[in-house]
Amino acid sequence: MRSRKVFSAMMAGAGLAGLTLMAPLTGAAAQEGKAGGTLKLLANAAAGTIDPHINYTLQYFQINYILYDGLVTFRKTGDKTGFEVVADLAESLPKPDDGGKKYVFTLRKGIKFSDGSDLTTADVVASFQRMFKISGPTTGTLYNGIVGADKCLKTPATCTLEGGVVADEAAGTVTFNLVAPDPDFLQKISIPHAAILPAEAPLKDTGTVPIAGTGPYMIASYDPNSLLKMVRNPHFKEWSKEAQPAGYPDGIDYGFGLNDEAAVTAVENGQADWMFDPPPADRLAELGTKYAKQVSVHPLTAMWYAPMNTNLAPFNDIRVRQAVNYAIDRAAVVKLFGGSNLAQPSCQILPPDFPSYAPYCPFTANPGEKWSAPDLEKAKALVAASGTAGQEVTIITEDTEVSKSIGIYLQDVLNGLGYKTSVKPISQNIQFTYIQNTNNKVQISVSQWFQDYPKPSNFLQVLFSCASFNPGSDASVNISGFCDKAIDQKMVEAQTATIADPAKGAELWTAVDKAVTDAAPVAVLFTPKRIDLISPRLKNFVFSPQFYWIMSQSWVE
Amino acid sequence: MDNLSAGQALVRSHRGAEGPWRTAWRKLRADRAAIMAFGVLVLITAASLAAPLYARHVSGTDPFATNLNGEIVIHGETRQVLEPSTEGLGLGFTPLGPTWDFGPYMLGADNQGRDVAARLLYGGRNSLLIAGAAALICLGLATLLGVVSGFFGGLVDTLLSRILDVLWAFPIFLLAISLSIVLITQSITIGPIEIRSGSLWLPIFIIGIVYVPYVARPIRGHVLSLMQAEFVTAAIGIGASPWRILLYDILPNVITRVIVFVPLILALNMMTESSLSFLSIGVQPPDASWGTIIQDGQGLLYSRPIVALAPGLAIVICVLALNILGDGVRDALDPKSSIRVA
Amino acid sequence: MLAALVSRLGQMVLVMFGISVVAFLIFFATPGADPSARIAGRNASQETLAQVRHDFGLDRTLPVQYALMMERLFISRDLTSFVNRGQKVVPTVLEAIPITLSLVLGAAVLWVLGGLIVGVVAGATRGTWLDRMLMILSLIGVSIPVFWLGEVANLVTQSRWHDTWLFSWVPPLGYIAFTDNPWGWFKALVIPWFTLATLYIGLYGRVLRASIIETMQEDFIRTARAKGIGERRVLLRHGLRTSLVAFVTMFGLDFGALVGGGALLTEVVFGLQGVGKLTYGALQTLDLPMILATVIYASFFVVMANFIVDVAFVFIDPRVRDAH
Repeated sequence: MRSRKVFSAMMAGAGLAGLTLMAPLTGAAAQEGKAGGTLKLLANAAAGTIDPHINYTLQYFQINYILYDGLVTFRKTGDKTGFEVVADLAESLPKPDDGGKKYVFTLRKGIKFSDGSDLTTADVVASFQRMFKISGPTTGTLYNGIVGADKCLKTPATCTLEGGVVADEAAGTVTFNLVAPDPDFLQKISIPHAAILPAEAPLKDTGTVPIAGTGPYMIASYDPNSLLKMVRNPHFKEWSKEAQPAGYPDGIDYGFGLNDEAAVTAVENGQADWMFDPPPADRLAELGTKYAKQVSVHPLTAMWYAPMNTNLAPFNDIRVRQAVNYAIDRAAVVKLFGGSNLAQPSCQILPPDFPSYAPYCPFTANPGEKWSAPDLEKAKALVAASGTAGQEVTIITEDTEVSKSIGIYLQDVLNGLGYKTSVKPISQNIQFTYIQNTNNKVQISVSQWFQDYPKPSNFLQVLFSCASFNPGSDASVNISGFCDKAIDQKMVEAQTATIADPAKGAELWTAVDKAVTDAAPVAVLFTPKRIDLISPRLKNFVFSPQFYWIMSQSWVE
Repeated sequence: MDNLSAGQALVRSHRGAEGPWRTAWRKLRADRAAIMAFGVLVLITAASLAAPLYARHVSGTDPFATNLNGEIVIHGETRQVLEPSTEGLGLGFTPLGPTWDFGPYMLGADNQGRDVAARLLYGGRNSLLIAGAAALICLGLATLLGVVSGFFGGLVDTLLSRILDVLWAFPIFLLAISLSIVLITQSITIGPIEIRSGSLWLPIFIIGIVYVPYVARPIRGHVLSLMQAEFVTAAIGIGASPWRILLYDILPNVITRVIVFVPLILALNMMTESSLSFLSIGVQPPDASWGTIIQDGQGLLYSRPIVALAPGLAIVICVLALNILGDGVRDALDPKSSIRVA
Repeated sequence: MLAALVSRLGQMVLVMFGISVVAFLIFFATPGADPSARIAGRNASQETLAQVRHDFGLDRTLPVQYALMMERLFISRDLTSFVNRGQKVVPTVLEAIPITLSLVLGAAVLWVLGGLIVGVVAGATRGTWLDRMLMILSLIGVSIPVFWLGEVANLVTQSRWHDTWLFSWVPPLGYIAFTDNPWGWFKALVIPWFTLATLYIGLYGRVLRASIIETMQEDFIRTARAKGIGERRVLLRHGLRTSLVAFVTMFGLDFGALVGGGALLTEVVFGLQGVGKLTYGALQTLDLPMILATVIYASFFVVMANFIVDVAFVFIDPRVRDAH
């Protein structure tokens, strides 16, 4: 996934650093929280539709996790166990049957939607059909493994998922049948796109009209130009503290329209409690000193990277791609993002602390586990061997400050390697789809990738498999156009192995990570950290690796 | 017969009149404010042209290359060009502030560690070039449209006037943003001109078009009133060909009007260039114009306001000088015209 | 006369049609403008993409798409945004109008008053140091880019001197509705008003001064003076009155353009969610329905203002009528 707006500034060595910085805040958590009050949140702009089956932005994923529930969800805690899947609307985590192709969920009893109606097995079936009927963004990529999904994708209007999602009303169970075993199935239905909505939810993108949910809060009103207002769901009773804990504040007001600079000032002065957008680079020094107590920094499972088009000269030559990797001074790029406390240099695809992650960096002065310094000699030798020096290269970046400055830095690097380079920043709203389409003949660009769910396939398979390369389409997230049959095969093997033996699968994924990194379809630049600025009155700031700040768990004084 | 010769005399006397130009020049030279303004403009242009010299001999750094790890000795103290914050949580970097010495980083560094003063001079070149070239396009097109519209009248006039209306009411930022995206990767060919992607011609072309109606309309009005003037009706009376009238009677009169517009359009173009750059359209990085430096400086407004203030002041000074010069030229050439200055 | 009016009205509609067509075509000529993939979401499958393209009618021919969009904009009035799906475009624009109006009206009061004072004082004291002073200030006002002035104002009032007694009253950027808090409304807008008005005070002051000086040399003024009417009275009753025609014309055009979204830069710099900011946001996200709505709205005001001024001229000045 990509956030609506790129995090232009975030953090440190590891989760530990995040926790250390958090100390003054979590210290307060020891005392019992007090309910009441209204949280005031700020963002530059709204993030589009509030239909949970459609919206695919970090900004609204974060609130959808406290508005809606799936059968399962990620544990809502502030440590690494936040990556684990726990039962939510289902009574318990089901064991896969039929060699990993069948999952039977038993629904909890007595749960009501915010409109007062009861949650039934029919709602679950209807919700999964709805995803397809309204052409949800991930239906073709995350949920296409459900039996009957192929028909639903072809003719959404008549979608039934017959044989794929089966309810037994008397027993209160829902059975899912998959076409093939999928070790990531539970993670995939833990994201808000698989939220369970009332069966009568409209069969179209509801846009600005809220849909009833089961979480502790519900949307009272939504105007994308000014305010999203959330209030307590009167029908909510806590059924699982780890899946969906009750919330402290009585209401949450999410205001839109203030720019970053003004939002920082507002939060510093306590006129607002939190801002979604990263603080502008200009204010970081001030935040780190004068307002250090109101700041918390956490590593993200994400990467900033420069995809290189493996089908266009000069990057169709692996030596050139490796040369770029050797030549980039990642410490300098980190500086552009706000310094070594906000980002960590990286050469490999998987981010630190991610499943299957094993530190690996071939593209550095002393190849090994960590990046230390660029190796310009080697880079120049590789370019000389490729005979491509002197060619023209265009770098496409977003028109944000950080992306643009990284582009200008890369221009210097490529010029240094002997290319004639230009940089073209384009609107960040267009850039991501623009660089995907092969018709636009983009050679190299600057982009970011944030995880959807914590599995290596979410980075490696989504970004580098042949299946995600669609020439001529705006939706071709394999931006490098990288398609290596052998590596594709390895990914399938790793996925299959995971079902039988997760430890073995994890090892295979580590090998895939190395293989893709070596083939250098991209130049990974760094792992970003997120910086959250909160008001002095906000207490118990809990940061989950999956949802980021869990709003319902904070209270105000 | 009598009538005709009187007409000929009128036409001839009008055509023979070189006086107005000489008078205008004399008046302009006597206008001290205008001469001073002109001097300021010449100085700014000269300084901009000297940008490479400044970069090589004074600032000593390449103003287009990033300098993220650079160090510099100032007053015997070694400092990093991008100084990391070391206190508290140690977040972020602050570029070097102004040294106020005639040397490296006189006005400090920007967020890529580049010398702001050197970029300011290079930016001046582009800003002046864009304003100048766009003014040529604008005045050329506007004169053509205004004269054709006013001279031929009728259907041609109605059609051209409505096209000008569309252009006038059309939001220039939409035009600019769309065109800039179109031209980012593809070059565009308009007749004999080929605009390469990312070239300076893109902002020149956009800005050149925007103010065409602003100039074309008064010129059309002027032509209309000239057509009623005695010396023209007289020329028509003696049977002069339309082309002769256009060339010898209309155009010379229109030219004085057009010249009055030159400094004003230059000033307008300069403001527009900065607005477009403020909205990230225009000169492409790592090149600079005053507008793009303001835009770079926007991200540093809080810690290093000089980066945005300096180019802004440069624009104000330049535009002010152009406006003063414009007043002088107008007073000299066409004291009665009621051209707006904006 | 009536026929001329009707034909002028017809031409006005044509101009607005032309503008909407050009905006529409530019959008589709822009590479990467196709919103399907952005609507469908990150990493959408090809089937989903095709489905979304079909749902939004983006697989139709351009004339059909244009007609449908105009129908939904003007007749059923339920056109929705491509970016904030479900957000109806027409009410959104309507809601933004009061903010733009608040900004432009306040600034207009300032610039009319300021322009009048500068123009009259300078005209009356022609050639003195006061006149020169005012004209130099006016020229400086005319020469400052409005967005830069706004940024400097923000720098001074929001950060540098925000904690001093001078600017501690300045609220954070953004709009406060008059109906919620009239005093807050005033405080939030007063700096944007001055920023926006600076240019026009200079402009109007200069034009008025020139016009007054010109008028004061006309015959009827000499007659009035000859009658023994006091100089101040001549200036205010006769000189100013005649000069105001040009002043009012200019005001009509500028006011129309600003209400139509010409205050875009001011709104962006001060975070005011008016029509200009809406346009700017729509352009940045390439939100075609919102672009069309704001562009047509803006052109309506510009063309309308032109039209009114033209018609008024026909009534005031017979020479113009002949020229047409």
